[in-house]
Amino acid sequence: MRVSQSGRTRQVVLVNESPLRRADPRAKLFISLVASFVVMLPLERLAIFIVVYALFLTWARLLPQAARQIWRIKWILLILFVLDWWLIDLDHALLICSRLILLSGVFTLFFSTTTTRELSLTLEYLRLPYRYAFSLSLAFQSLGLLDDEWRAIREAQYSRGAVRETNSLRRMLSQLNDLISLTVPAIVLTTKRAWSITEAAYARGFDSPHRRPYYALSFSWIDGYLALGASLVIGCLLFLN
Amino acid sequence: MLRTNQVSFRYPQNGHGLSPFSLQISPAKLTLVTGSSGSGKSTLARCLMGLIPHLYNGEMTGEVWLDGERTADLSMWQLAQKSGMVFQNPSAQMLAPTVEDEIIFGLENLGLERSEISERLERYLTQFDLAEMRSRSPLTLSGGEQQKLALAAVVARQPQALILDEPLSMLDTTAALALIGYLEEQVDDGKAVAIFEHRAEYLAGVEGVNLLDLNGTPAPEITSIEGLNLHPRRKFSLEIEGVTVAFGDHTPLKNLSLSLPGGQMVAIVGRNGVGKTTLLRVITGLQKHSGDVKISSPAGTAAPDLGMVFQNPDLQLFNSSVREEILYRIPDPDLVHYAALLDALGLRAYEATPPLLLSEGEKKRLALALVLMRKPRHGVLLDEPSLGQDSHHKAILVGLLRLLADAGQLVVITTHDLPLASQADRLILLGGEGVIADGEPAEVFTDAHAWGKAGIKLPGWFTDQHLGADV
Repeated sequence: MRVSQSGRTRQVVLVNESPLRRADPRAKLFISLVASFVVMLPLERLAIFIVVYALFLTWARLLPQAARQIWRIKWILLILFVLDWWLIDLDHALLICSRLILLSGVFTLFFSTTTTRELSLTLEYLRLPYRYAFSLSLAFQSLGLLDDEWRAIREAQYSRGAVRETNSLRRMLSQLNDLISLTVPAIVLTTKRAWSITEAAYARGFDSPHRRPYYALSFSWIDGYLALGASLVIGCLLFLN
Repeated sequence: MLRTNQVSFRYPQNGHGLSPFSLQISPAKLTLVTGSSGSGKSTLARCLMGLIPHLYNGEMTGEVWLDGERTADLSMWQLAQKSGMVFQNPSAQMLAPTVEDEIIFGLENLGLERSEISERLERYLTQFDLAEMRSRSPLTLSGGEQQKLALAAVVARQPQALILDEPLSMLDTTAALALIGYLEEQVDDGKAVAIFEHRAEYLAGVEGVNLLDLNGTPAPEITSIEGLNLHPRRKFSLEIEGVTVAFGDHTPLKNLSLSLPGGQMVAIVGRNGVGKTTLLRVITGLQKHSGDVKISSPAGTAAPDLGMVFQNPDLQLFNSSVREEILYRIPDPDLVHYAALLDALGLRAYEATPPLLLSEGEKKRLALALVLMRKPRHGVLLDEPSLGQDSHHKAILVGLLRLLADAGQLVVITTHDLPLASQADRLILLGGEGVIADGEPAEVFTDAHAWGKAGIKLPGWFTDQHLGADV
């Protein structure tokens, strides 16, 4: 866990105590992807799957992480629920919200137990060229920095009077102009950092055709059971009456 | 080993770059390349590494030779096998999720066997004292540790030449001296080491340094701030009473109390993480804290109104010209004050230039202009103002800050730059437990016990130049 300069704590990304932490990331990615297909199920089966998936996350000690992800979209869920109930019916509102809840929680399993290095390796094993796999994992690694940089820019602009703190909705709307004072420095800083990283990577032989990975993924029998179990549960829900 | 033959380069965006320059960098030798801001030090370093012309578009003339081959004829990975580069910003060159992965990244690219990678990993983690932090994220390390890691990651690839672009500029004194120690070991190992650096004084004690100078355009002089419409001189003092700031388990400021009278230039010095920047943020109201911060004057007490100049000027610049940037959201701007600011900060020639095309030194001066245009009533706070500035720009900055202090304003700077701190009226040495020493710089610098307690080693060249035989 890192503490940023303003004292806000960054989100804990990796759950080391989860039994899935040591599982093969390919198995975890498979489970997450297959689970995301369940959104096509009708409401009753979807509800059963959500309960099963929540039990699985509880066993994997990942339920608080998933709950946090869902909490982040609470306002979207609330608005959709009210609109769907009002314009269509309650069943439809429940179905749409259940689907969103499932989609937002389903990849917690993968991202809360997989390091960016493992993500890069997984993508390489899935035949994605190394340069893209590396760039994607680096992008994930840098997500936390964006939060810090955005806060730093906001404070710097606030201190020179270029943006104003307010709680009034009307004034907030009139301050859309402030966005330019925030987005231009954000783009500049992100571009600069991306370029610095590119230079550093090339200066350490990033484009070498002789690269040989140090780490390897190994698919154990436990990973096989996990993938098979997930497939069976989802298969049952999809095809059995 | 490495040589250039009248190499020059112009960036297409602004036409800046490097004028024709020839140099030779030999094995088992440390070459120091100095030069003012904008003289092309970083550009020359990129030419030597081959990043120019491989990653940069622009107009290049002349040639760079590495071990008898033209760098333009080799690909980047071939160049990276023979030479390695460490960059100015420690955190912006961290590529991997852990310290050991940072070293492994470069070794994988050499196509080494797994056993060879393991062997080198252990060897260089030990050599650079990084073994204990091997599983940590590089982004959680201090600037000094990050720079050490960047050097270890490059050295582990065993290149014949090392190129370092201002590696000391963001480090505190202790970390800078440690890094130089590691570089001396590399020279003893027979490597050709080229350092492009403003803070040349740190290499004064290193034997056999080959010194080269890239001349740049001298920066303008500031002689007065006539025309600057500052608030009338009134006696006041900034009172900081019992301030505590806690970030989870970490408490950078604990029950801190200070009284800072107007009309003074105050330097705050301390190792990374002791709360220097946090203190400035508390004073400006950006940081939540317990305790009191107020202005006390014969007329009563008031909230402080001090402008803050941030470490990174890019956080604030977004307009399409220097003029628009300075005047942004200033109702009824005082144009006499504006014109005086342009002259005082040497920005007159750049009035119509987009701020993002300015050099780092110019951007820093522009950031100060933004703050002074708002006419803060009580003064200015500057976070690491000399970072990335050459000695000439620093002299200009100090001159201006001195004039502001003489005009009755309070000027507070945080800095790792000891010569800059020595020019303040008052020096506050911060440590983990709060204020370790507070007084006139000459007095504080002679308190060896205090510096030991703060974990800062005063370099020999500094004590020789500034303190004579007192220490």
